[in-house]
Amino acid sequence: MGIVSPLGMGLTETRAALLNGQRRLGRLTVFEVAADKSMPVGQVAALPEAGDLPRTHVLARLAAAQAMAGCEQAVDAVIMGVTTGGMFLTEKHLKAGHGNPEDYKWHGAGTVAEDLAALYHCRGPALTISTACSSGSVAVKIGLEMIRSGKAGRVLVGGVDSLCRLTYYGFLSLQLIDPQGAAPFARNRRGMTVAEGAAMLLLAGDEPEKALAEIRGGGLSCDAYHPTAPHPEGLGALAAMRAALADAEIDPRQVDYVNLHGTGTPDNDRAEAKAVRALFGDHLPLLSSIKGACGHSLAASGAIEAVVAAMTLQDGLVPANTGCVEVDPELAIRPVQTPLHVPIGTVLSNSFGFGGNNAALVLAKPGQAGREGCGQQAEAFSILGSACITGRGDTEKTTAALRQGVTCTGMISAEGPELKLPARDIRRLKRLPRLTLSLAQAAHQDAEGSKPPQAVFFGTGWGALSDTHAFLTRLYATNEQFPSPTDFTGSVHNAPAGQIAMWFKAQGPNLTTTGGDYSFEQALLAAELCAAGLDDPILVAGADEALGALSGLFDPSVRAAKELSDGGGALVLTRSAATAGWPRLGLRFYANAGQSAEVMAEALAALGCGEKLSERYGLILAGIPAGGRAQGESQLAELSALSGFKGPVVDYRKWIGEFASASAVAAVLAVKWLEQGTVPGVLWGGADLTLDSKGILLLGLGPFVTVVELFGS
Amino acid sequence: MEVLLQELKSKIIEALNLPDITPADFKEDEQLVGGPLGIDSIDVLEMVMMIEKEYGVIIDNKELGQKVFATLKTLAAYIAENSPRLRN
Repeated sequence: MGIVSPLGMGLTETRAALLNGQRRLGRLTVFEVAADKSMPVGQVAALPEAGDLPRTHVLARLAAAQAMAGCEQAVDAVIMGVTTGGMFLTEKHLKAGHGNPEDYKWHGAGTVAEDLAALYHCRGPALTISTACSSGSVAVKIGLEMIRSGKAGRVLVGGVDSLCRLTYYGFLSLQLIDPQGAAPFARNRRGMTVAEGAAMLLLAGDEPEKALAEIRGGGLSCDAYHPTAPHPEGLGALAAMRAALADAEIDPRQVDYVNLHGTGTPDNDRAEAKAVRALFGDHLPLLSSIKGACGHSLAASGAIEAVVAAMTLQDGLVPANTGCVEVDPELAIRPVQTPLHVPIGTVLSNSFGFGGNNAALVLAKPGQAGREGCGQQAEAFSILGSACITGRGDTEKTTAALRQGVTCTGMISAEGPELKLPARDIRRLKRLPRLTLSLAQAAHQDAEGSKPPQAVFFGTGWGALSDTHAFLTRLYATNEQFPSPTDFTGSVHNAPAGQIAMWFKAQGPNLTTTGGDYSFEQALLAAELCAAGLDDPILVAGADEALGALSGLFDPSVRAAKELSDGGGALVLTRSAATAGWPRLGLRFYANAGQSAEVMAEALAALGCGEKLSERYGLILAGIPAGGRAQGESQLAELSALSGFKGPVVDYRKWIGEFASASAVAAVLAVKWLEQGTVPGVLWGGADLTLDSKGILLLGLGPFVTVVELFGS
Repeated sequence: MEVLLQELKSKIIEALNLPDITPADFKEDEQLVGGPLGIDSIDVLEMVMMIEKEYGVIIDNKELGQKVFATLKTLAAYIAENSPRLRN
């Protein structure tokens, strides 16, 4: 385990700070703020400078180095919860009007996981979860599922966020910051304290004797209620805690201590207290939030609290609910007032975020009988419906254009029917949430007669660029006086998925993943890991918007393209047994090309068909991002040479444009062609292809290699 | 006061991007938040920013906000009373 927070660097300092009940909230010095906007923060002291690396990445490297100390073996996956990535530097460069893309190379939230994956020779996926303040806990849950499913043996999981203007002024504009510093569950609480930090845990399935603690289970839910406010009765929080206990196969009475989310905002603490009372009744376990001690480090908080929970299990140190002098009597809970030493066997750790994204984890002393993973390859999903949007228009217009050999690049018309939703529903939504909501509705409509999706898995390479840009533009234009709460709410990566959840009342897991050109594949991977036990349909989508001011700065493939393009795809999927024989899709391979010279041979081995590739698949859709064409083309050539694949290959980005989640569109096109049984030959300059019973392979090429297979009914 | 009320209506429509609402739809004594206009808590905060920017009036806590944003009339009255710009 590793931890860096205002409480200190590493486990020893953290333990000492918690033992003494210290409150480490103080003055913000990493950027200047006007006197009347100055609020206490949880800042990590004396963070070393590291060249052009943003604070987030520095924090992540420090925590990861602690967690990985003494470990020689490479990890199979890196899973990080991150919300703002390199925003701290991006803000500075944008304000100064810098136009050199090199200044923005660490902008993406996904670059933290990619950086750690390179440092620790991770051969598998570098997955980034961006579900606002629950990101760190969700990352731990996903890591747990990777091990349970047998997809990975060792996984580095964690969460990280640094202080930046976007979140500081954003929470300020929402009046969610307590000028006196957070006092969770206090009668006079007025809000949270924004903080920074990182925490990492190395999860392993095979060495229980060395374990510091055991992740016994995790539960996810979505309020599907409001973009920022929690459900007033804490129903989503309750659902996540219940799901975590069920996943860990324990009942509430076995929980000794709950590390509460407890941000200090009036609404969160009230809703959480209600949920805790509903779950435990009169048998309340020990309760405390550490956010009065170290503030709320957003995506890092869930991971930090998981590490603290593990420390609690080790030596029985129950942290105090620092900052709260007089508990709010309305809440009817009594958080721990001073640090305690009592034997603790099981801890529940809560994290709740914007978009009603909730996660809860159960940690226990190692050595107890944990739930065994099934260790089998998950079955593919059946496809109930699908829809895409491109610069050419909706699914019908896109497929019709491609049939004629007409490209679908370019930007979606804001005036066209694709983004037209009821005016009142979308008055606060800018481009990406509109695009995503349209896609979700079209995919649901296409899944005729199916129930609305109950869980949402959404991948986006760059998130809501329009909202982010609007927020920063207004912030700077008003001399940092009038940040927009609306734009801040819209700027978080998980805002579009939250909108989908509200639309469908989807209260199951609600995950947003972000990792450049692999964001859609990451959503699919997260769906495969979290869909066990979900009978209702789920929605898996990928979308990105183009914005002239930012897309080219952030995305090398957009820079390499002749024009800006945007779009996305959405699929309604299920694992219900009743849909056997439907068209289906599954993610079969996800590996870090930088860590293996034989990555294409490994991909073929994962498909289990080597030279028989042409017998099983009629078509390859190759995703070769323009920013790295040489690498992608050589990977494709290697695959063809190794497999002797004889069918057509469509270099699909040439047809639908360069945007991070273009593969979501390609997946939907594959579904439509499988339904028709033919693929237009004009796409490769040959005769139309009849698929018969053959499937389609969707390849993601470049620094990572992903393989999705799709089959018809 | 009448001028301020009319001005507020158009400024609110603009700040909150209320596309299907005209100044005539505002009933000055009607509940402003959670009423028929569809205005919610995020909109209140957006109005807080607009009012500070346009009138120099700061509304920085929920209790005060609930009183001030009760109706368009209470909002106009509070601004008229507290705005340094309107007093001059």
